[in-house]
Amino acid sequence: MTDTQLPRWEVFKQDAPNKPHQAVGSVHAADPEHALLTARNVFARRPQAVSMWVVPEAEIFSVTKEELVKGRRPKAEGEKAINYQPSTISKYLVFRKTTHKRSMTFVDYVGELGALSPQDALEQAQQKFTDAEALAWWIVPASNVAKSDPDAQTVESWFGIAKDKTYKQQSSYGLVGTHVSKLRGLGGEDEA
Amino acid sequence: MKPEVKKALIAKFTALADDELVLSHRDAEWTGHGPILEEDIALANIAQDELGHATVWLGLRKELDGSDPDQLAFFRDSTKFRNAELLELPRGDWAFTMLRQYLFDVYEAAWLSAAKASSYQPLADAAAKILREERFHLQHTQAWVERLGLGTEESNRRMQAALNMQWGYTQQLFVPLQDEEILVRENIVPDLSAVKTKWLEHTTRHLRDSRLELPLNIGYQPGSRETHTEHLWSLLAEMQSVARWDAEAKVW
Repeated sequence: MTDTQLPRWEVFKQDAPNKPHQAVGSVHAADPEHALLTARNVFARRPQAVSMWVVPEAEIFSVTKEELVKGRRPKAEGEKAINYQPSTISKYLVFRKTTHKRSMTFVDYVGELGALSPQDALEQAQQKFTDAEALAWWIVPASNVAKSDPDAQTVESWFGIAKDKTYKQQSSYGLVGTHVSKLRGLGGEDEA
Repeated sequence: MKPEVKKALIAKFTALADDELVLSHRDAEWTGHGPILEEDIALANIAQDELGHATVWLGLRKELDGSDPDQLAFFRDSTKFRNAELLELPRGDWAFTMLRQYLFDVYEAAWLSAAKASSYQPLADAAAKILREERFHLQHTQAWVERLGLGTEESNRRMQAALNMQWGYTQQLFVPLQDEEILVRENIVPDLSAVKTKWLEHTTRHLRDSRLELPLNIGYQPGSRETHTEHLWSLLAEMQSVARWDAEAKVW
């Protein structure tokens, strides 16, 4: 069967300016702008956010603690082969998972570094980010990251609105879902 | 507030609300039928936002005449609705839906930007609030117009067909209501001809950049908002059916 899905993008959401971008899930989209637009709708219509990043899943190099023990090198999330030029230094974004606690997020952004290859970036990251044990690493070439517009008007339009909106339980919508017993005395045939 | 101003403003709030309410329902018809899950969610979000805007406008009307927004939305007959005909047309295909939403979003964003300066403070506040959401809608729908226009031969053909059909209808958004000039004179609402200039500037540039041609023959242009196509009747029959089924319902 032919796969008619659009490419998959991993979505990173930042909840507040002093918090890291966190992997919250994925969307299917045609291109970076489309991925950001759909990511905003799927992941930030209600929950708090100030910024979003998207990355094509095929460009993410991921490796778990267990795989490192077995000596495995980072592999791309997808199956697409990518040719990197190991002679030039380019920027990589490093994400790390540090807890097994059940959570809506996977890896957190820890920082950026210059490296010759994803493998080189991973080795540097292991030396540099030692404040907590890494259960998994994601290494992302910076050139593959699309970011939401930091301009104030866009931030307000994409994320500001959610601040005025709250999750409502069904029970707060008055009549819908209100148990009959609560309406006794308001008239109607239930009263008898 | 002078009685003639109040009357004109009530009529304007009704027209603004009806545009949003009817468009919201057409968008909501896509729920569960979107081309991909993400877009299904996105359009449901837009539909919900537009419904929220209708609530805002009917709320402002209520402040003037005490009318109940739910009664107006769910118990009013189609002959009393004052939405533009464009918004009641059946949802068509994805190109038709995205183009209509885009043409309306550009209009709405331009109108709201001007209405932020309204001399009637509740309207100015509402415009500023709604505008924040409209900016995002517009980014989303203009991205779709561009992608379908520049996409494949088939997507371009569908987009062009939608444009040929909608362009004339869209002009009704810029036809003032009967007493709207009273409101314009008092700086309560923006002059629609200035809004249209901005709208034309944006749409002609973006449509051409998306390899779409503005129709030479504009076609049917509805005038008064007091008449409608047959499609409004069936839309309301569905939209209002639950509320009308048991108007006194205490529990659903």
